[in-house]
Amino acid sequence: MCWLGRYLERAENIARIIHINETYGRDDPHGPDWRRVLRLYSDEERFDAIHDDASAATVLGFYVIDRDNPASICSAVLAARENARSVRHLISTEMWTHLNIFSSAVRALSAKDLRLSNLSVVATMVINGCQSFEGIAEGTFLRGEPWCFFQFGKYLERADQTTRILDISYDRLLLDKEDAVATVQWNLLLRSVSAYHAYRSRHPGLSRPHDIAAFLLYDTEFPRAVALCVSRMTTLLRDIEKRHMKSGGAKLEKARRSLEFSLETGPAHELTPVSLHAFLDGLQIALGDVSDVISEGYFR
Amino acid sequence: MFGRRALPFTKEIRERLNQLDIAALRRRARDAEKELFNLGITFTVYTDRDAIDRILPFDVIPRILSPADWKIIESGVKQRVAALNAFLHDVYHKQHILKDGVVPSDLVLGHEHYREEMRDFDVPHGTYVHVCGTDIVRDEKGRFRVLEDNGRTPSGVSYVIENRHLMMRAFPDLADGVPIADVDSYGTQLAHAMAAVAPIGVTDPTVVLLSPGVYNSAYFEHVYLAREMGAPLVEGQDLVVENDKVYMRTTNGLQPVHVIYRRINDDFLDPEAFRPESELGVAGLFRAYRKGNVTLANAIGTGVADDKAVYAYMPRIIRYYLDEDPILDNVQTNICRESAGLAKTLANLDKLVVKPVGEAGGYGVVIGPRATKRELRELKALLESDPANYISQPMVNLSVCPTLIGRAIEPRHVDLRPFALTGDSTWVLSGGLTRVALRRGSLIVNSSQGGGSKDTWVLV
Repeated sequence: MCWLGRYLERAENIARIIHINETYGRDDPHGPDWRRVLRLYSDEERFDAIHDDASAATVLGFYVIDRDNPASICSAVLAARENARSVRHLISTEMWTHLNIFSSAVRALSAKDLRLSNLSVVATMVINGCQSFEGIAEGTFLRGEPWCFFQFGKYLERADQTTRILDISYDRLLLDKEDAVATVQWNLLLRSVSAYHAYRSRHPGLSRPHDIAAFLLYDTEFPRAVALCVSRMTTLLRDIEKRHMKSGGAKLEKARRSLEFSLETGPAHELTPVSLHAFLDGLQIALGDVSDVISEGYFR
Repeated sequence: MFGRRALPFTKEIRERLNQLDIAALRRRARDAEKELFNLGITFTVYTDRDAIDRILPFDVIPRILSPADWKIIESGVKQRVAALNAFLHDVYHKQHILKDGVVPSDLVLGHEHYREEMRDFDVPHGTYVHVCGTDIVRDEKGRFRVLEDNGRTPSGVSYVIENRHLMMRAFPDLADGVPIADVDSYGTQLAHAMAAVAPIGVTDPTVVLLSPGVYNSAYFEHVYLAREMGAPLVEGQDLVVENDKVYMRTTNGLQPVHVIYRRINDDFLDPEAFRPESELGVAGLFRAYRKGNVTLANAIGTGVADDKAVYAYMPRIIRYYLDEDPILDNVQTNICRESAGLAKTLANLDKLVVKPVGEAGGYGVVIGPRATKRELRELKALLESDPANYISQPMVNLSVCPTLIGRAIEPRHVDLRPFALTGDSTWVLSGGLTRVALRRGSLIVNSSQGGGSKDTWVLV
């Protein structure tokens, strides 16, 4: 159940990231730098083993339709569907039906759908498909333990992905000296995580790198902010523990506390590309630890 | 052929179909098939790298049964289930029928599915076959005849219900105002039947559905039925036996289980009692069963009653236990272990279908009218050397139903599998699974050989 939430959240975020990367490159005479996406997911080694160059076609193929790449959108969505099949008796008919339709649309994508001019359409289709699933689940899924795990998986993955989206943008944007261009780019980043209006309402007028990073990390009301995701994870774990009438164990508590701690002790006030990168790295590791303990503890 | 009340409706439906042109029919059929994929009403074929979903092809022209026809089928199926249960009780207890020489002892006791472990064990309400699928065809004279009793783990009922839902969505206009017997209550009836056979003293039994898991081709149906019943879907690893009692692992610890609707064959149920290498089953399940702490549906050892050789004796089994004539006939069968049957077979070899009883899947079947002289000579020698291994039957001309084939409506052969549920009494789901051989002239309705299905409308 946890994985169903994770796979779809992952598919949605890969779509967001390739979409924003394509948008960043629109003003660049050389076009988008696709190697950046590979670096972001630490996939360079795997990618270079099978491809000679990191062009739009190869990288998009790798992240969208390559079924041999377990971290592609197609692999994630099909894995979500296989996962849903094994928990089919727990989820609602509408969730199952939506996933059937969505996964068959994703499965049908081919290289010719990945032309840059068409990328926005494909990314939007994937994002909408994942979001619709989430909405259907919200409206039809029994609020039992499976729901808690589904949500937990979603927030875990989302927190991780938000740190990566921030990571991909931050150093590049800070190096951009020209303010007008930088502002455009920052706005794009915000839009890519559906944060533009939310951020504006907090900071009318200005797009300052530091504020944006702090917003995506620490806002407690923005649904993709890391702090909100982590606090939801804690609430969900408490709920699951209450249902079990026992705690998730010392190891889980420790992993969770260390995640909260690494978030609280972030370099909130002096975000340099270096400090931010190290900080995001640390967060990703802490999230990974929680994920590991959960899979050990609750699933044999 | 149709009852007086039914006739106008059948005619009405035919007229409504006629008003749809072929293109519209085709379009609606395509939409219906697409919906099967969308709803995930599929079975999955796994290859090394992929899971491919297949649907059971669906024909949009419903098969219609009149109230009079249905009455015959329903009462005939109930009668047969009663006889099967009486037979199973007897062969696992005093064995009167064997001692009286009505069915040969060696045929039953030497059968691969006969379970000596079941001797002198009483199942609740004497019900062995809780879920029965009876394969029925209609011959050239319009008479219903039973081809086969499926008394182990018959499948296909989920398609009956889903086909109806699909039909009502795709053709609401076709059924408008026509009184069709509903099929939606199967899940609750199944839950009732399962609860009725709970071990004595259990008032609020926990029923589970035991599936071999996601890789089984009928997994969709297992999920479907579990949900319809409101019962947990479990696999072997979710169950555990302690002190001869069965428990289900839940995140809140172990929860007692009283009735298991199992969709796993006898052989794989319990590695301690049957196949030791089985990873699908539950160790110790059979001990718990024999102690009466859990009920299995269907019971263990029912395979002895749904076999080709025993099938030939069904009319006699019905008369023996129920003292009634069979309501549904068998396909006329000559039992070659009996001299009259052998003589008749040998005299008509070129007209009959001869089947070895020990083989499954059509292996060793000789179709007389299509055999060469030499094959017939060889068959004669086989029959004379080991007559007990053979039965023979005339070729049956299966009835046909109008079916949408490409851009035309053509006749195709059909059969019918009604589903009967038995707890403390027997209930038959109205209609059943109509399978249709989509290839021209083919008599084979199996999905693996180009078969599809139709919605079956029982008029009321």
